Amino acid sequence: MSILYDEGQQAIATESRRALEARVSKDELLPLLQTQGAYHQPFWATAKEQGWTALALPEAYGGLALGLIELGLIAHQAGRTLSGAPFLTSSFGAAKAIELYGSDEQKARWLLGLASGETIGAIAFAAGPDPLPAEPMVTLAGDRLTGVAGAVSGGLFADVAVVLASGPSLVLVDLTGVDRTAIDSFDNSRCIADLSFADTPADTLATGDAARAAALHILALQAVVTAHEQTGGAEALMEIARDYAVTRKAFGQPIGAFQSIKHRIAELYGLVELARANCIHAASREDQADFITAATAARLSATEAYDTAARDCVQIHGGIGVTWEIGLHLHMRRARSLALEQGSSFFWEDVLVDRLAGDEA
Amino acid sequence: MSDLEAWRAKAAAWCESMVPTFGKAARKGLSVEDDLALGRRYQKAKFDAGFAGINWPTDLGGQGLGHIEKISFEAEEMKHGFPNVYFGISLGMPVPVLMQFGPDRDFVKERVLKALQGEEIWCQLFSEPSGGTDLAGLRTRAETDGNGWKINGQKVWTSWAQYSDYGVIVVRTDPTVAKHKGLTYFWVDMKAPGVTVRPIKLAGGDSHVNEVFFDDVKISDDHRMSPVGGGFAVALATLMIERYVATDSAGFGPHLDLFVDLAKEVRLNGRPAIEDGRIRQQIARNYAMRAGLDSINVRARRMMEAGMTPGPEGSLNKLVAVRSRQKLSELALDLQGAGGFAFDEHASPKDDWASSWINAPTGRIAGGSDETLLNTIAERILGLPQDHRPDKGIPFNQIPA
Repeated sequence: MSILYDEGQQAIATESRRALEARVSKDELLPLLQTQGAYHQPFWATAKEQGWTALALPEAYGGLALGLIELGLIAHQAGRTLSGAPFLTSSFGAAKAIELYGSDEQKARWLLGLASGETIGAIAFAAGPDPLPAEPMVTLAGDRLTGVAGAVSGGLFADVAVVLASGPSLVLVDLTGVDRTAIDSFDNSRCIADLSFADTPADTLATGDAARAAALHILALQAVVTAHEQTGGAEALMEIARDYAVTRKAFGQPIGAFQSIKHRIAELYGLVELARANCIHAASREDQADFITAATAARLSATEAYDTAARDCVQIHGGIGVTWEIGLHLHMRRARSLALEQGSSFFWEDVLVDRLAGDEA
Repeated sequence: MSDLEAWRAKAAAWCESMVPTFGKAARKGLSVEDDLALGRRYQKAKFDAGFAGINWPTDLGGQGLGHIEKISFEAEEMKHGFPNVYFGISLGMPVPVLMQFGPDRDFVKERVLKALQGEEIWCQLFSEPSGGTDLAGLRTRAETDGNGWKINGQKVWTSWAQYSDYGVIVVRTDPTVAKHKGLTYFWVDMKAPGVTVRPIKLAGGDSHVNEVFFDDVKISDDHRMSPVGGGFAVALATLMIERYVATDSAGFGPHLDLFVDLAKEVRLNGRPAIEDGRIRQQIARNYAMRAGLDSINVRARRMMEAGMTPGPEGSLNKLVAVRSRQKLSELALDLQGAGGFAFDEHASPKDDWASSWINAPTGRIAGGSDETLLNTIAERILGLPQDHRPDKGIPFNQIPA
């Protein structure tokens, strides 16, 4: 069953939108694209001030004990304004892994900082194109980790990472002193880095099938947050396209009167609403047996919505749409970086069909 | 259990109990005439059980309940393939509009009760050869004739007209004013002299739609359901009545689990098709789309329960679902290869891929084409401009043909 947002949840949406629209601007985001190793500080400062980092964490560790629904609403707004750091999702994923699979000692050590935002978390599961490898490339020997975890979002600034290592094992790693190599990407504020472990101490959270199931669960939680962010981005682009189509004129009328334009925007509306509906549903299923299936539907439809909206919004703008200045490429870039983080559509399609066909591991 | 859950449970139990008499198996092999006769008995049973006219006033034979109870019943009812299709239009639009605008209340009550019990069927005479989407461009005319009116012209795509006792009709009463200002709304007796109904055989082989010809059909002024020249507003009201109907994210075609079953059965390149990436992608994409519609519909239901008006996103149902049903049906035939040729004209589009495929275009055109729905979304929801309309504000008889 899906849900209707209650008054408190609606207030979170309104307030976070107000805060982000006041603090985030395209003029500050554009230079970040050509800068390595920097994120948009005002965004992260806002997230900490507003308590968004604490939102979905337990009260015992400085959290606000709300959940995916509320965090999703924030992520939706963050997607609308193209907020310039990946930590809201990456820290949430790391914190959930610690909350769900960690010891009391581990929780005490990390969760307070993650809740306040002073500590930044990251997830490192992928091996090459595989977001959840059967044979992880990072090896765990005893309680020591060795090898490279490639292209970790937020990895450049993370203090702690949850890593999928050989075994498979899900491990918790203090990143102090770990070597990081920044990756020059098309969306540099994602702070993507290769993490090189060399006999780095690691605490095991889960092993074997349990490690894999735990990693998939964390990935799905993050995917739902990301899906909200993607839906927010797609919604913003749909509105930008609409606003342009009612003002820009050609052949004596607004271009929005041409069906080739208006139907394209109406199709975007459909994609955005399907993604939104799937997101709301998935967020409401966090602790249910069908959560992974619901998360997958949200993830797939949100990726399609944002990619399509980025493509079409630029197209509707014509020449002005491809200029650096107008910044639509910020959305193009973000649509793609969010499509790759937490696993591509290929991965989620397989996860979903395995479940629908009754073949899931 | 909430009242609504109890209602739904009661509806489910009743529907279940009707399966032996009226279900798919009971209907198998019946001629259309026999099926219609069975349908009339089903409609009567529904009335007797208190499931007809669920959201209609009790003084007209309805149950006096809300849209939500009606939709809940329909969701249960559509699981079983009962012979209710003949009454869908009749009870969906013409009869409710008669309840709202019919001038003679005794006549209205008599008609409504007969329609609710399946004894009489009403049709809706809107579309014409010159236009369906462009409703206000219609050409059938009514001229004054003594104290009444005389109708001449032709309607088309009229569902179930061949079995209808009455119809509601929009006609042109003044061609000298702008097109939507010269229309008037009436009801007509489909058995009156001068009315000729000719069924149209559709691509899938069935003939539920008709051409209807009017040759000097005389009606008295008490058939009029709108002010003279005020017919367009009543026509729009007719189309708005059916906003609260049960939806189906499968587009009234086969459900996705049937496709998954098929993909597990057949082999592609020596292995089960369900292992083929192309097939997997289609399944996943369809699931995500249909799950989105399901969630939209659950939220709409919850809003109704909370006394709110559902959001405009419900308008996506028909557009998105039927389009995807068409493609998925093509793919299901592809999957079967040479085995996909088999065709049973009487198979149900809800569980037969070929039937679903051949009938899908009707679903994308009837009741608002995809293109019209996209225009509606663009204009009404997103505030985009209307299309260029060269006939705007021009008297009907001066519009270039």
